[in-house]
Amino acid sequence: MALAVVEELTFSYPDAAPALDRVSLEIEPGEVVLVLGPSGSGKSTLVRALAGLVPWFHGGRFSGRVEVAGRDTRRARPAELAGVVATVFQDPEDQIVLAQVEAEVAFGLENVGTPPAAILPRVGRALDAVGAAHLAGRRVVELSGGELQRVCLASALALEPQLLLLDEPTSQLDPDGAEAFLERAVASGAAVVVSEQRPAAALRHAGRVLFLDRGRIVLDAPRDEAVAWLDEHRPSWTSEPSDKLSQGTPGDVVARVGGARFAYGGGPEVLGGASLELRRGEVVALTGPNGSGKTTLAKIAAGLLEAQAGTVERAGRAAFLLQDPGRYLVRETALDEVALGAGAERARRALADVGLAWAERTHPRDLSSGERERLALATVLVIEPDLLVLDEPTRGVDPERKAELAALLRAQAARRATVVVTHDVVFAQEVADREVSLGSEREALAVA
Amino acid sequence: MRPTAAAALLAALAVAALLAQQLWPVGAIALVLLCACLRAGRRARPYLWGTLFSAGFVFLLSPLLQSTGWHVLWSGPNVPVLGQLDVTTEELRIAALNALRLAAVGLAFAAYALLLDHDRLIAASTGRRSVLAAALATRLVPTFERDAGGLVEALHGRGLAPEGLRGHAALLSPLLAGSLERGINLAEAMESRGFGRSGRTRLPSPPWSALEVGAVALAVLVVAGAIWL
Repeated sequence: MALAVVEELTFSYPDAAPALDRVSLEIEPGEVVLVLGPSGSGKSTLVRALAGLVPWFHGGRFSGRVEVAGRDTRRARPAELAGVVATVFQDPEDQIVLAQVEAEVAFGLENVGTPPAAILPRVGRALDAVGAAHLAGRRVVELSGGELQRVCLASALALEPQLLLLDEPTSQLDPDGAEAFLERAVASGAAVVVSEQRPAAALRHAGRVLFLDRGRIVLDAPRDEAVAWLDEHRPSWTSEPSDKLSQGTPGDVVARVGGARFAYGGGPEVLGGASLELRRGEVVALTGPNGSGKTTLAKIAAGLLEAQAGTVERAGRAAFLLQDPGRYLVRETALDEVALGAGAERARRALADVGLAWAERTHPRDLSSGERERLALATVLVIEPDLLVLDEPTRGVDPERKAELAALLRAQAARRATVVVTHDVVFAQEVADREVSLGSEREALAVA
Repeated sequence: MRPTAAAALLAALAVAALLAQQLWPVGAIALVLLCACLRAGRRARPYLWGTLFSAGFVFLLSPLLQSTGWHVLWSGPNVPVLGQLDVTTEELRIAALNALRLAAVGLAFAAYALLLDHDRLIAASTGRRSVLAAALATRLVPTFERDAGGLVEALHGRGLAPEGLRGHAALLSPLLAGSLERGINLAEAMESRGFGRSGRTRLPSPPWSALEVGAVALAVLVVAGAIWL
């Protein structure tokens, strides 16, 4: 018998076109289903429908039927489904409730009425399962994004759910971290539904792939068949990293960092003598595992942080695009937002460059997460910097949009030195002339 | 020390500061609480500035709004509605007492926010929903501080900087909007983890230690002492 049944589900958010349009599917116990699709195609809505959050939490028009473990989600509230279903959302910082790791993982167990004597052992097992047993006594504010994501997975696994829903859960993890995360999720034995924008790792674990487009399922097939379909119809979704580096001819030096050392607030040293040279006309991918100091080095190069030792030289204007696009939403319209750094005409051109010409009068908070990323990019492109640093610009962006972003950065590469801090190997190979990888020893090491 | 005992002690100090009629015990309470807050290091800064600003405001303004006492230190102009502006020794004493009371209450809250383990406080509470709401609200100040830092950093990354009071005030609206969005996401995550469902259990907690019993006893003594004084 199917664990979850979705039958002719159509759902529209208030005053919007259907996010899901006559979607039907069944999920068997233990099955691993990968959900792919462009930004705004309905992946997150489908995940939320399976958790009962649609329609309970998000108002809108709902028709059709969703049943999980025999319970109709129109009758059972999401809180009543908790335990049978567990969800890990995209942004770990927005789902952490309590201040201490052990209490955070225990939160769901307490809510679903787990016998007190069983709570701590289950918390311990869940933390152990995600390789985070050493974090048990830590405060969540001390954790990195990758560690937080593991705590969120532990919180979900502790519930021992029959259905585990993962909504782009590896967006902040490096490739090894993402692989380990998915391995642990699959090893739990629950049926797993995972939505992803970086499908390479998830494709290795999935038994079945769905592809959504404009709220409809356009593909529902076993993995091998799905890969063949993707190769033919959506090749950007199955792109493998290639050795496409060294596309441009570097010009004058725009920034040079020599032997930089840095530690945050008296903590351990994040950078221990890192060096980096950036020249006009080149795109440099700054890669490395979580916590290796990539963002810190990039901020030092752009002048957002001052190195505590070493030298920094910069020629011209620098711009830095932070990871969180929510930090670029300070005005009432997209045009005003971008025009903050320049005049309206330049702002219009920048919006057109990122494909948001239509959104001039739209409130920035009414844009989707992928559109917000592009708006944020426009706010830094508009100032026409000599050094442009983008920190994880492909987070939450689908492969087709990534290809467009890579093309845009390549087209404007001659104007400036561009640094892309990223975990996205495919994107790095696509866009960069040179890759600089920070290792665990936290020293800059040019690999190409 | 378990947070319930520490919270009882902090609450007792705040209540004692409000009940006491003399300057020296209120000043002593404020000083003790200030020392406790300083243990939190840099994190204490926004709380200390907020408390200092509020208490300073009360101290400066309240003598001008009162008409108490005979020992005039300064006599000012006659202002419509308020009447004659003057400052007397008695008004200054009352202003200092009220400012110190406000400082003590503010510092007690700061110590609660900065030093207590809110998770264990929630676990120990019978009114879990309201204590959880209070704990989440307590995180508002550090979250605002971090978000504001992020907005300013993003502006710096665009080659801009908020200038003056007006520039910083313009960040308030996006800060609030971001906070609302975060609140909705958090509520969704809590609901999906069973929050609000009946039949909740809780992590078992260890028995009370002598130190913790002593702290609660001290809290009772502090309040009794304040009433007696």
